[in-house]
Amino acid sequence: MFDTAGIAVEAGQALLALALAPALAGFIRWMKARMQNRRGAPFWQPYAELRKLFRKDMVVSRHASWIFHLAPFVIFGSTVVVSLLVPVLVTPLPFNAVADLFAVVYLLLLATVFLALAGLDTGSAFGGMGSSREMTIAAISEPAIALAILSLALAAGSTNLGEIAARTIARPSSAISPGHVLAFVALFIVMLAETGRLPVDNPSTHLELTMIHEAMILEYSGPYLALVEWASWLKLLVFLTLAGNLFVPWGLATSLAPSALAVAFLSTVLKLVVLAAAVAVLETRVAKLRLFRVPELLAVSFVLGLLAVASSFSVR
Amino acid sequence: MQGVFSQVAVMGSSGVLLCGLILLWRRGVAAYITAFTWQSVVLAALTAAVGYFGDDPQLYAVAALLLVIKAVAIPRLLRRVAQRFTVGREPAPYVNTGTSLVVSGLLVLLAHAAARPLEAIAEVPTRAGMPMAMGLLFISLFIIVSRKMAITQVIGFLMLENAIALLAVLATYGVPLIVELGVFLDALMGFLVMQIFLYDIHETFSTADVDVLKRLRH
Repeated sequence: MFDTAGIAVEAGQALLALALAPALAGFIRWMKARMQNRRGAPFWQPYAELRKLFRKDMVVSRHASWIFHLAPFVIFGSTVVVSLLVPVLVTPLPFNAVADLFAVVYLLLLATVFLALAGLDTGSAFGGMGSSREMTIAAISEPAIALAILSLALAAGSTNLGEIAARTIARPSSAISPGHVLAFVALFIVMLAETGRLPVDNPSTHLELTMIHEAMILEYSGPYLALVEWASWLKLLVFLTLAGNLFVPWGLATSLAPSALAVAFLSTVLKLVVLAAAVAVLETRVAKLRLFRVPELLAVSFVLGLLAVASSFSVR
Repeated sequence: MQGVFSQVAVMGSSGVLLCGLILLWRRGVAAYITAFTWQSVVLAALTAAVGYFGDDPQLYAVAALLLVIKAVAIPRLLRRVAQRFTVGREPAPYVNTGTSLVVSGLLVLLAHAAARPLEAIAEVPTRAGMPMAMGLLFISLFIIVSRKMAITQVIGFLMLENAIALLAVLATYGVPLIVELGVFLDALMGFLVMQIFLYDIHETFSTADVDVLKRLRH
């Protein structure tokens, strides 16, 4: 099982995810700019930002403790581990045994917790506010995620990512089953909340009244900021890949043949582009929700998850 | 074929149900009317699909009628009523949005439990959608009791009507056309009567908020 080719593909897939993540963020920004009649920066702009940040010096607050120094590595590390587990190109991988949906979601949550701790650590007012908001949203999006996962797992009979994808490939009709579609919508809403996209958080502003993610990372600069930003782009990529490859798994390679890998690469990029375009359109169309209405949005996601679970019981 | 039919039925009834849920999440009568229109369109499409898969050409006529009456005529009348009263945002309902969403989720679960015996005796491949129709029925009743504005309650009533029509289509491939016609006429008449009531309420109390009707007691 642990053959070298498999491990190489596994590592290659994680590196690919790392390499593609800034482009994905840049693509969303570019597309949004285009739809808002702006020229927009090219999609490789985030790479330039990363390079700039890695070269810069750091300014660390005198009041920062070791948590502040540890957090960027935990955030980046746990997100990279998740990208090792998610089926980006190939579905049965050497690490498939631990590629559990719960593991993925809670590894991502680990990163969120450390981000919130880092925001609190320096004692700045904005950081604390951002952390408190982030934790509120994380706490209410948890049940919604759990339900969406449960409905997927019920349909496939397993919470294993490879198993779910394989089951859907084997039974194409299950992809249009209501449980599947409702769970997709539920997970998409939660994804928007978890990655700080528009109806919940605005990724392109530093307006103190509205920011959540930006408020927490306000104290970071230089290479630390680069790591945190890269991790947040990677998180977006991981969520979109999950949405693409679990719900519409066609194109995913089931062997390590080069042609299958090439098809898988193209199909994954295509799915990412489609989903990213959907996010960009959504972000252009909707306004940010009042913070007090965010629980209602997540309640919508929760109800959709509930419906998905209920209907996956009734269909079988 | 059977499998696809069953999937389409469940999919369509989920769509109808989701349009009902929009009423709980959005605010503003215009959004409610749009949700109702889409619900009727999905219902008509599902009826036509059942007619196609179940090989019952009468259902095409029912679908066309649904489209004309519930997706075009009634929404237009509703818009006119809404404009007349210049109702913008609805006052906060008796139950807040988050709670009512969760309640509606529980109602759908209840519907799944309640529809189990029905599903057990039904032979048709569309039976899997019946819990959704029951769920919509419960949710529309919930909307009627939890909202303050008369026009929202009317929309809730119309959705209740849609739920019953959906249940009929799913359980028995629709009732005979003549009965269906009678039901449509009933719905339209009921709506017109309610419209007159709405006007009267508005005339007398200069508001369409049914909370104010408590003044009748004095």
